[in-house]
Amino acid sequence: MSVVAFERKPSAGLWSETELNTLVAALNIAVAPDDGRGWETGVTEAGDAQFYLLGPLPDQACELCVSRIGGRYILEDGSGRLLFEHQSLALVALHARAAVRSKHGWLVARAVLLWCTIRHMIHDKVEPLLTEGEELFVELAPQLAAFA
Amino acid sequence: MKRGKHQEILAEKLQRKVAPEARQLRKQAGDWLKQRRADAGLSQIDLAARLGLKYYTFISQVENGFSRVPTEIMAAWAAELGLEPAAFAKHLLLYYEPELHRLLFGAKK
Repeated sequence: MSVVAFERKPSAGLWSETELNTLVAALNIAVAPDDGRGWETGVTEAGDAQFYLLGPLPDQACELCVSRIGGRYILEDGSGRLLFEHQSLALVALHARAAVRSKHGWLVARAVLLWCTIRHMIHDKVEPLLTEGEELFVELAPQLAAFA
Repeated sequence: MKRGKHQEILAEKLQRKVAPEARQLRKQAGDWLKQRRADAGLSQIDLAARLGLKYYTFISQVENGFSRVPTEIMAAWAAELGLEPAAFAKHLLLYYEPELHRLLFGAKK
C-alpha cells in the first residue's frame, strides 16, 4: 500500500518554502537589491508568520505586509490598512502584486503631473518674458545700430 | 548640474550609513513599545482590539521595527499604554526623526 504524502497546510510558525516562493514570485517586480528594496520575514508575539516587503533606502520601511493567522492570509500596507484577506495565498499574492503596481503607477502619474505643471509654468511665466525681451530688442536694435 | 564621481561615491556611502541607522532606530522604537505594552499588561491582540484594529498584525509590524506608529493613532496608542500622548510622541520622534527631535528639543543625537 502506498501512502500519498500530502503537504501539511501550515497554520502557525514560519513560512513554508512553497508559501515564500509564491510571495516572492508575485512581488519580484518590487524587489531591487541595488536600492535596498527587498523582503524579510518575522513572527508575531503569538507565533504567526509575517512577510514584509521593504521600500527603498534609506528608510527601507515596510510597504506591504502579508501575515498568516490560522490558515488565513492578511494583506496590509505599511500604515496598517487592511487591503485584502483570504484563505488562498495565491489570491492574496495577486492582490499584493496589484497593490505594488498601483503604487508604482501612482508615482508615474505624479511624475507626469509634475512635468505638466512645470511645462505649464514655463509656458505662462517664462515665455511671455522671452517674447517681451525679444520685442524690446527688435525695438531697440535700430536705435543701437544708429549709435554704433 | 551633473554630480562628480566623488560626490556620487560620497552620497552612496552616506546612504549606506543612514540606512541601517534608520532601521535600527525603528527597531529600538519597536522594542520600547513592546516593553511599554508589557508594562501595561496587554498582549498584541488586546492592544489591537482596544485600538479598533481587525487584526493584531500591524502591532507586530510596528514592534518588529518595520513600520512606525501612524500619527493619527498615536494618541490612542499612548492612552491604551497608560502614557501621556505628548511624551509618547516626543519619545517616538527620538527614534523616527532623530534630527527633528534634536532641533526641536535639543536633546542628544
